[in-house]
Amino acid sequence: MKFFDCNVCFGRPMIRPIRFAETAKDLLKEMDFYGIDEALVFHSRQRDDSPVVGNEILLNEIKDVERLYGTFAILPPQTGEMDSFEDLLEKMRLGNIRAFRAFPSEHKFLMTRVALGSLYDFMIERNIPLFIPINESCGGISGWYLIEQILSNAPDLTLVVVEHGSWGQDRFFRPLIEKYENLYLDISRYELDGGISDFCAKYGAERLLFGTGYPWWNPGGPILMLTQADVTTREREKIASGNLKRIFGRVRI
Amino acid sequence: MRSSQIVREFMENGKSKTCPVIDMHTHLGPYQGIYFPNPSPEDMIRTMDRCGVTMAVSSSHAALIDSRENIKMVDTVKRYPDRFRAYWVINPNYPEDIEEEIRQFSKAEGFVGFKFLSDYHRYPVTSPRYEPALKYADEHGLIVLLHTWGYSSYDSPKLVEKIAVRYPNAVFLMGHSGYGEWEKAIQVARDNLNVYLELTAAYAVNGVIEWMVREAGSEKILFGTDLPWFDPHYGIGCIIFSRITDEDRHNILHRNAEQLLQRFI
Repeated sequence: MKFFDCNVCFGRPMIRPIRFAETAKDLLKEMDFYGIDEALVFHSRQRDDSPVVGNEILLNEIKDVERLYGTFAILPPQTGEMDSFEDLLEKMRLGNIRAFRAFPSEHKFLMTRVALGSLYDFMIERNIPLFIPINESCGGISGWYLIEQILSNAPDLTLVVVEHGSWGQDRFFRPLIEKYENLYLDISRYELDGGISDFCAKYGAERLLFGTGYPWWNPGGPILMLTQADVTTREREKIASGNLKRIFGRVRI
Repeated sequence: MRSSQIVREFMENGKSKTCPVIDMHTHLGPYQGIYFPNPSPEDMIRTMDRCGVTMAVSSSHAALIDSRENIKMVDTVKRYPDRFRAYWVINPNYPEDIEEEIRQFSKAEGFVGFKFLSDYHRYPVTSPRYEPALKYADEHGLIVLLHTWGYSSYDSPKLVEKIAVRYPNAVFLMGHSGYGEWEKAIQVARDNLNVYLELTAAYAVNGVIEWMVREAGSEKILFGTDLPWFDPHYGIGCIIFSRITDEDRHNILHRNAEQLLQRFI
């Protein structure tokens, strides 16, 4: 089975994790250790630093590196810090960038339609997925409330919530899964016993993506959990790589 | 990585013929803040079979809330004597009940010791309210599974060290390994013969297992999952994919637990 990890960070984070991969080359070695074939990545500077700085670092780091796809960190277009949408597309094409990622806590912006409406429309028009960790917050809204706000502002947005936590989240996310068909979850922390098979029985396997949360989380957990999940081979393959490839196949850049 | 026989077996079959698993930290039944697909003993046994878990040591969720529910674990152990042992939950909010509960515990079959949930019950593990149970555990060489969390004013590794020194014949399992306060937790396990690191949830933190093995030794680490919370394959995956030896994997996944449970099986 091929693993395509949708949730990986490399670089040297400001708060040092116990283990990390500083460069793209280091990351490939780590992926080889775990048997992970491809990964959608961001650089730690995209979160810890200005996205303007971090996005350029990412482009340079993954340039011509096979197996790695990049994620651009976003900002509200109004400040002019981000490239124009046209320039963004050009950089995405050249740099193997396939997704956006939001860090509203660190970068201090609101995820309302007033702030991000034009960017949401751009992502929807181009089918570019937006990734967001569940521990993000903005303007006093956090967690699943924030996710609901994003989706109510942009119901057609392809949104991937990552690291949604192990301490009982189904009651939060299932209503949103039922309402928004372009909402996806990564399984990096979906540790619930029987969670994957129970989810697939009710919603199908199309809404789950294999992710590890490297370097903060141990990739061995989701790897063995998915490999042995009580689902069909076809469902397992969709989660391991097929769903992300399908999402990427729709991206128009 | 795949040169490890244990890794190969788990990846191919979901379990290992040579490396059984003992889960030292489980619960049972529904709980307030989470949806469980598999909460019953029978559900749990199905999961355990899939993952090669031979034995689970449990405190029921109901007993965490109302310690009068402890006695019901006797039935579970009686029904599945080869698969379950139990902890008796001590709730310090009802000190008037504790002596009687210890009396009941002493007569009940299938229990290996006590479970303290101090962060939730809001009494520090050093509270005099725990003393009767700790004295009893010390006198009888029992296991005490503590919920522990880093920097907690109720059950941090520093507080665990105090009771471990005071009650040297009791065996203390630091549930969640003092999550987040790794350095102190590792030191406490390394320096106190009667303290173990228990891995529930902690295993997910990348690199922490290697750190524990290096500094405390794999002989001081136990496997646990909070089942029915967490898929054992998740925890097992974290352990088998850590950069440790197969001997370490054996110690963590079953050997250390076998030693501790020997007299209770």
